[in-house]
Amino acid sequence: MENRRTWAIGFLAVGGAVGSLAIGIPAILAAFSASIQGRQKHAWRRAGIVDDFKIGKIITADVSTGRGDWSTTLGRLTVFVWRQTDEQFVVFSRSCTDLSCPVTFDPGSECFFCPCHGGIFTKNGTPLAGPPKRPLYRYTTRIRDGNLEIDLHSLPPAY
Amino acid sequence: MLRQSAQWAIDRFGIDNLYHCLLDRRVPKAPWYSGDGSTLMALLGIQVITGSVLALTYSPSTDSAYQSVVYITDQVFLGWFIRGLHYWSAGAMMIMIVFHLMRQIVLGGYKSPREGTWLVGVPLFFGVLFLAYSGYLLRWDERSIYGIRVMLQMLGRVPLIGDWLVLFAQGGPSVGPATLARLYAFHVLVIPLLMFALVAIHLYLVVIKGTMTKGERSTPIHSVSQQREIYKSEAASVDKGETFFPWTMLKTGTMAGIVIGLTLLATVFIGPSKLYSEANLTESTMPAEEWWYWWLSGLIALLPASIAPWAVVLLPVAILMFLLLLPFVDRSPMRGARNRPIWILFVIATVVTILLLTDYRRRSPFTAWPESSLPAIPVGMTLPPDAERGRVQFARYGCNSCHAVGKSNASFAVDFALLRGQLSREKIREYILNPPAGVAMPSYAGRMTKEELDTVVAFCHVAQTFPLED
Repeated sequence: MENRRTWAIGFLAVGGAVGSLAIGIPAILAAFSASIQGRQKHAWRRAGIVDDFKIGKIITADVSTGRGDWSTTLGRLTVFVWRQTDEQFVVFSRSCTDLSCPVTFDPGSECFFCPCHGGIFTKNGTPLAGPPKRPLYRYTTRIRDGNLEIDLHSLPPAY
Repeated sequence: MLRQSAQWAIDRFGIDNLYHCLLDRRVPKAPWYSGDGSTLMALLGIQVITGSVLALTYSPSTDSAYQSVVYITDQVFLGWFIRGLHYWSAGAMMIMIVFHLMRQIVLGGYKSPREGTWLVGVPLFFGVLFLAYSGYLLRWDERSIYGIRVMLQMLGRVPLIGDWLVLFAQGGPSVGPATLARLYAFHVLVIPLLMFALVAIHLYLVVIKGTMTKGERSTPIHSVSQQREIYKSEAASVDKGETFFPWTMLKTGTMAGIVIGLTLLATVFIGPSKLYSEANLTESTMPAEEWWYWWLSGLIALLPASIAPWAVVLLPVAILMFLLLLPFVDRSPMRGARNRPIWILFVIATVVTILLLTDYRRRSPFTAWPESSLPAIPVGMTLPPDAERGRVQFARYGCNSCHAVGKSNASFAVDFALLRGQLSREKIREYILNPPAGVAMPSYAGRMTKEELDTVVAFCHVAQTFPLED
């Protein structure tokens, strides 16, 4: 009698575990598919025509995120382009390195201001005040056919 | 006939059993303010009802979410009321859950045999925090998108698996439709379902273990059996006990009614929260969180840069650990506020800190913003010519992005009017060219001509004599 009871409990336990795992594992894998698949190494996007950027000036540029048909609201992304010399470009992300709030460039003081917690960055992206500790992120750039291109995936995923 | 049908229903649906177990039971008398739990239950009910109605129209797609919220507010009959009530009762829940938690900390409500009730309550607290955060992300306006990015930053800073969690929350390589879908799923399905299960367990434990009584507060309690003894005798006593229905419910229900009344007033007279422009990653904007998270934002602004980036991860973890360990660390036999002065101090200090940080965030004196208009000068004052030219340069070089002039508050950097003529021209000049290390001021060496510098110095010097506006 006792033996049958042990068997019954064992059967319920094993059956329950197999059933839960058979459904649970695929469910978890599907939920985390974006993490498992990761992201492509590069995502090059056009930031503008090289000749449109004046040397020495920091201006904003709108980049198409290339999502197109999937979502229109987040289809464009603003970055800061600083043409230093003929060939040399620095493209800053608009995300504050503290919590990704959108920084604004003040041409007067040549500082980037973060609207959230008082972060300030110099023209070079070095943090000057507030919580941010690391400099503004810079996109990897390249020049193709007279266009300035940036690699969206050269920044960590949360930026 | 009617009586017979009623009898039949009471028996077949087991209502008599439920009535005796839940409602018609003797409990020790409870004060009116112990209705905070009932208030939270009632508010949760309002969230479910208003949330369900909102979900009838809301569209969890990045291309139409914002428009659907506008539609709910402007077109749906009483849509503004439902949205407003969902918003204000969420805010009321945030206040009430902090009150509920703090009250138990003051009393020692987590002490034996109620550790289980407490440990089930802790994830419920975090559940409410999550819902109050994810709710305003669904509006898909400018504040939502930056709220989402703050959330992603929090996840991204978790050691080792940070990037992995970010990709999970985004549902892809960047913020997009899957991000909103996930937030929606967690806000309306995953977290509420888990919370319902936990609320059921929480209430079950409240029924079988009771809540802290007057008698328990009057004497040190060393064992569960001693507690049981006190509880039972109070419940049975004519003057120290009462029947849960209707007497306890009358008091707790009154408190719930008052809080709900206040949320209704706020809904009707203030209305639903403001909608900003549709979520985008291009416009220049000043995002802010809902008022119930202002204190957190204020705290982040005050922390030094060496800690601030980790605070968003460490603070929730620290609060979680503190709450989970509390019943096991605090082993004193004393219960009740009067016997626990240290905990009264702790709660008062916490609440005062939260209020001060909230006010700090409301004023946001830590945020500088580009300002290129001319700084105001006192009415009737004529500046010397060089100072007047300096005023123009002052604005041109973005000085007043940080330095308000004569504004007594809301200035990120020092307001010259506050200096009352302390600085000589030489000192000002030196400061502009070589700001001391550690000061949030860029050097203007090499940027200004000598003539421009002289005029700016002249303006700063005379600005020290400006009167302060209130």
